[in-house]
Amino acid sequence: MPAFDENTPTTTKQMLSANRRIFLQAVLGAGAAISLSSKAAKADIDYWAMNLPNEKLIDMYSTILRIRWFDRTLADKQLSDRSFRNLIHLYCGQEAVATGVCAALNNKGPFEQIDVIYGTHRPTGHAIAKGVEMKKLAAEYNFKATGLNRGYAGEMHLADKSVGYIGADGIVGPAAVIAAGSAFAFRARGSKQVAVVFGGDGTYATPAFHSSMNNASLLKLPFIYVLENNLYHQFAHYSYSSPQKDIAQAANTYRVPGVVVDGQDVMQVYNRMKDAVDRARAGEGPTLIEAKTYRYYAHWGAPGAEVGKLGSFGYDPQAITSWRPEREMRDWLQRDPVDICRNTLISWGVIDQAKASAIEAAVKQEVKEAFDWEAQQPLCKPEDALKHVFVDGTVAARQLG
Amino acid sequence: MAQKSYMYAVYEAVQHEMRQRKDMTWLFELTPAVASSPGVPVINLEKEFGRTRVNNTGIDEMWMAGATLGAGLVGTTAVTYIPYQGSQIPFEMIQNHAGKLHYMSGGDASMPVVFIIEISGQSAGFGGQHSDYECDSYYAHIPGVKVIIPSRPYDAKGMMVSAIRDPNPVVFLFPAGLRQLNEEVPDEQYTVPLDKAAVRTTGNDLTIVSSGAGMPLVLDASDQLQKAGMKVEVIDLRSLKPIDTETLVASVQKTKRLLTFDQSYYTLCPGAEVIARVAENVDGARYKRIAFPDAPPPASPEMFGWMRPNASHIVAAARRVVG
Repeated sequence: MPAFDENTPTTTKQMLSANRRIFLQAVLGAGAAISLSSKAAKADIDYWAMNLPNEKLIDMYSTILRIRWFDRTLADKQLSDRSFRNLIHLYCGQEAVATGVCAALNNKGPFEQIDVIYGTHRPTGHAIAKGVEMKKLAAEYNFKATGLNRGYAGEMHLADKSVGYIGADGIVGPAAVIAAGSAFAFRARGSKQVAVVFGGDGTYATPAFHSSMNNASLLKLPFIYVLENNLYHQFAHYSYSSPQKDIAQAANTYRVPGVVVDGQDVMQVYNRMKDAVDRARAGEGPTLIEAKTYRYYAHWGAPGAEVGKLGSFGYDPQAITSWRPEREMRDWLQRDPVDICRNTLISWGVIDQAKASAIEAAVKQEVKEAFDWEAQQPLCKPEDALKHVFVDGTVAARQLG
Repeated sequence: MAQKSYMYAVYEAVQHEMRQRKDMTWLFELTPAVASSPGVPVINLEKEFGRTRVNNTGIDEMWMAGATLGAGLVGTTAVTYIPYQGSQIPFEMIQNHAGKLHYMSGGDASMPVVFIIEISGQSAGFGGQHSDYECDSYYAHIPGVKVIIPSRPYDAKGMMVSAIRDPNPVVFLFPAGLRQLNEEVPDEQYTVPLDKAAVRTTGNDLTIVSSGAGMPLVLDASDQLQKAGMKVEVIDLRSLKPIDTETLVASVQKTKRLLTFDQSYYTLCPGAEVIARVAENVDGARYKRIAFPDAPPPASPEMFGWMRPNASHIVAAARRVVG
């Protein structure tokens, strides 16, 4: 029977590495007696990201922009372009979460060595941040034969092993246990790989959340649960499904560190994720990161949105039990992840305003090219539907009688 | 009497029974406990009966099915509406608990509960998990659970009333594509039996058997065939457990030709059971079944549309079986 370790760290503070303590002391001054002024707080949250090379920081900014403009293009196309068929669950507003998380992972190299992520039915952020090619993504959304998954997946089942993106999932819950299973395998084979699951606030209520936390804790698995709390599971506020205001607190029940982070600030997400990844690779076990964030569009599609404008506004007819007030949406827009990242990079002297604009223009062009490419791609051949049920062969057509 | 949607008809049955039974409960997630249809009052179960009886749960279908069963075991009539986004998760609760408890307890346990399980099956683009139709076969296989699959609003209301009043656990398979199907539905409560198939058209040339979301396609095909001179007898199973063998056998004894139509996978589709039962009782008949291939539904509309059994497949197969 495993002995409980009463000293198991349960807060971020206790997770600080020696290096970081030294770094903080340097920033704050030895034995800093200053109270938690805004300057000290800022130093506290920026520590890992501040040490990143400019190139990496610019890449994170570009990634946020790629997700933003890819999804805005999807929204605009759904509203205005019937030739682009799609099912969309838009990620806008949450870009800093996927970007900060994946920036702390190994995404390039042989599949046996890179870190893996399990995404959700709101998949573009996870896919793009992990490194999936946007043109293949666009083609898959429109069910093309040359799409990421040859038209079999559509939006909800995107997958790309080559970058460690195990895939999106249309069912809420199961991915957490499956991801913990990947972490179990990493530990069994002595690998330093890490398995990450993304889940929304809605996943807290699923049995899978609790099974993954419990088993990952018992076995000290290299497993990180990134819970994107965007306040709503489909159309219901998360207070309908969780008694915890901070869902991260639930991790303590399983003796897993539960960390709350500002999901709109990519640097803070990165810092917390880096702590969690270091801990996982060191064999110290799982972490739950709750990113407080917000979804700019409705659960599904783009009702209440207009072409060329960001976000959905107004009453969503599908939201009967509870729906979000428009003021709440406008409030969150004031803390936009794109603006926060850009302002950070400018204040750190990594880029200036002109460079920021040039990066955004380049990303928009890149997104446009991805969708232009998609438009030229062939449709699926109907009979191909009988392939890929098993590794070899095809199944019989039974619809013809 | 007014035109009412399938969804509305089910909610109207529930509303009436909840007014009669002050302890009856309704658990739901994602799908609001609200139904509306033009010209009739909006039904809002949550508002009318309050959140202690009508509860919007988190995304936890195991809770929904298990809690409904537990409520039933202590004598409360309980219903849950499990949407297609999580319809397979409660299987253990229904198959290994609800399906066996009455028997295992030697007749002691009683479960006046209804599990409404939504099945999609109709949507190109939704991909592998949200457009399947397979669970009709899974539930029909369970010994101690009644399984119904009404295909029209009138039956949906009458069978829902019967299901609520039945002392056994009932799985009500709710084809999502029929939600907005309309027909005249009486305002008052009435019952439709849980164990009888319905003969929708009569004829001597061919028997076509289907259920649920397959029925509109079969009726469309049968119209085309009747116009071309073929006398088709269309049977709507309505219940998959038990299956009304008598009605099926009587029909095929007359027509000597049986075509079944399902949107679930070919292997062990309801039509396979229908054909087996008829073949055991009728000599010298010809048989054919149409079903979805043994493959998950692909997202691509080109692939999905080609795979999904449709009315023209029925017409072509009918001509081959009769010709």
